[in-house]
Amino acid sequence: MIESALAGLLLVLQWKALAFMGLGILLGFWVGLLPGLGGVTTLALMLPFIYAMKPHEAMAFLLGMHSVVATTGDITSVLFGIPGESTTAAIILDGHSMAKKGEAGRALGAALSSSLLGALVGAAALALAIPVVRPLVLAFGSPELFMLAIVGLAFIASLSGQGARGMVRGFIAGGLGLLLATVGQDPQAGVARFTFGTLYLWQGLDIVAVLVGLFAVPEILDLVVRGSSIAGDTRVGQVRKGVLEGVKDTFQHFGLAIRCSLIGTFIGITPGLGGPVAQWMAYGHAVQSARTPEERKGFGRGDVRGVIGPGAASNSKEGGSLIPTIAFGVPGSASMAVILGGFFLMGLVPGPDMLTKNLPITYSMVWTIVLANIITVIACLIFLNRLASLTNVPGELLVPVILVLIFIGAYTANNQYGDLVVMLLCGGIGWLMVVAGWPRAPFVLGLVLGKIAENYLYISVARYHASWLARPIVLVLFAIAVVVICYPIWQARRTRRRGHA
Amino acid sequence: MHNKASLALGVVVMLVSAWGVISAWGWPAKAALFPLVICVPLFFLAGAEVLWSLFGAAAHSASDFKLSDHLPQSVALRRTAVAVAWILGFFFGILLLGFLLAVPVFVLAYLRIQGKRGWVFSAVFTAVVWSCFFGLFDLLLHLPFPPGWIPSLFGVR
Repeated sequence: MIESALAGLLLVLQWKALAFMGLGILLGFWVGLLPGLGGVTTLALMLPFIYAMKPHEAMAFLLGMHSVVATTGDITSVLFGIPGESTTAAIILDGHSMAKKGEAGRALGAALSSSLLGALVGAAALALAIPVVRPLVLAFGSPELFMLAIVGLAFIASLSGQGARGMVRGFIAGGLGLLLATVGQDPQAGVARFTFGTLYLWQGLDIVAVLVGLFAVPEILDLVVRGSSIAGDTRVGQVRKGVLEGVKDTFQHFGLAIRCSLIGTFIGITPGLGGPVAQWMAYGHAVQSARTPEERKGFGRGDVRGVIGPGAASNSKEGGSLIPTIAFGVPGSASMAVILGGFFLMGLVPGPDMLTKNLPITYSMVWTIVLANIITVIACLIFLNRLASLTNVPGELLVPVILVLIFIGAYTANNQYGDLVVMLLCGGIGWLMVVAGWPRAPFVLGLVLGKIAENYLYISVARYHASWLARPIVLVLFAIAVVVICYPIWQARRTRRRGHA
Repeated sequence: MHNKASLALGVVVMLVSAWGVISAWGWPAKAALFPLVICVPLFFLAGAEVLWSLFGAAAHSASDFKLSDHLPQSVALRRTAVAVAWILGFFFGILLLGFLLAVPVFVLAYLRIQGKRGWVFSAVFTAVVWSCFFGLFDLLLHLPFPPGWIPSLFGVR
């Protein structure tokens, strides 16, 4: 195994593979920064170019590109409040709040260092899991996946405001997200639900259009209202400071970063849950790490832990999602499905061969993830000062550029004008939620997990009737969901009791 | 403002969830179950929020970003209306002219009218933004941008 790992490293360090990885990183860097370009679309666009490459070169190119998209997507989310990728939206809540307080450098430092840490954890998980992954993935059938979605939904309790009314608002927002997830053709009976007779809505709402509207539109409205730059009156020099402080923050909250990386890896390993789930669950866990209600109030207003958690999870899931793709040919996400296409183009067959005959190529993927992330983070840290300075650009120059980007971002998801309407409507909902003090995070969790929960529930009932409720992993996950819901309630009671004492 | 917005949102959610129940009623059980399971509790939770907004005290805000509150409410509302008008204007510009024309028209108009920038600066800035947009999305990636309704009338494809 060690020989294979070394052979994999030597494959990646060949000049051609390194050059292709560099090209991939360069492409992925810009794809992640621009909200208009999705990582999946670009991966698909690049597939025809890998024909002339050797397998390890092709994987260095594709994975090099893919593994940095989430890292640079975080930069757009932090600086402008626009999700660079659908998987980098959760970081907006605290990252962009920090940028508005003039702490863009610190937020970016924390985001990048936690991303790197997450990527390393994900790559380590991939390397370690290769021999033992089979029983883990096979233990997760539809009942377990349904319960995992319920655990994700249980995080609504942590992401809601405080008190009974805060909790009610959180569950309304989550319910609204779940309801929107049912839009489109129902997979069981084939009924078109809430489609208003339009063909466009049959495929459901596009997550990119919804996220861009929900998060970017309120930010733009606020930027116009303030009539200043994103960082307001904060001086240019001050905005640039704090990068190292952000890196230090990540190491101060090392335990949180590792736990969130593991959450991301686990979500990545589990096929069918999708990338956005990892960041939101990690954000929910970061909020849970607050010890007092006062500490919890700081989340959404620039708590660095709200940057570290999602930052770590978004990159660690990439290593995780490669595990089922390599071991079984089961892609854990849309981008992994495209990479799987790349496997077949190169004549690589996922399965036992990848763990025996082609083990050096498998390890070359691990090394690609590690090297690509290290190179990206170093490059970003060099340019971070200039990037952070963008928060000092006057609002009247930023607003038209951001608006062009978000309209293109929403449109290019499906090349349909309907996505622009969805983006605008969700922008209105997002703005109203912010004005009313309702949390937006549970809304996204509901939307992301709704379809997954419904599909796996029906498959579980059809396949196992009621007996799936007694499966051991289902029971364990149910217990975790109960703990996740009860924890904030118990925490609030404990604080109240201490206050009385 | 805070409570009024919450009241409005609560009422909208009540209406949407009631409409969801009514719509789902006619569907086969398999298709209706999930929407019903969501809409019924959603209706009552939204009802509770409406009652809270009408008769209860102000609530803690969620862990989310806050809109700037250093300006008088009337100024903030007027500026929000202006921003919404620009966003909708750009949207209708895209429908009427297509992305390729709407982008430069919008950027130039925004810089001149809202940004109060000079002609030369606005023209150069617009040219840079349009070149990046056209070069990346059209020339390099060949993303399909339809021409818009007005150019279509003149047979532009």
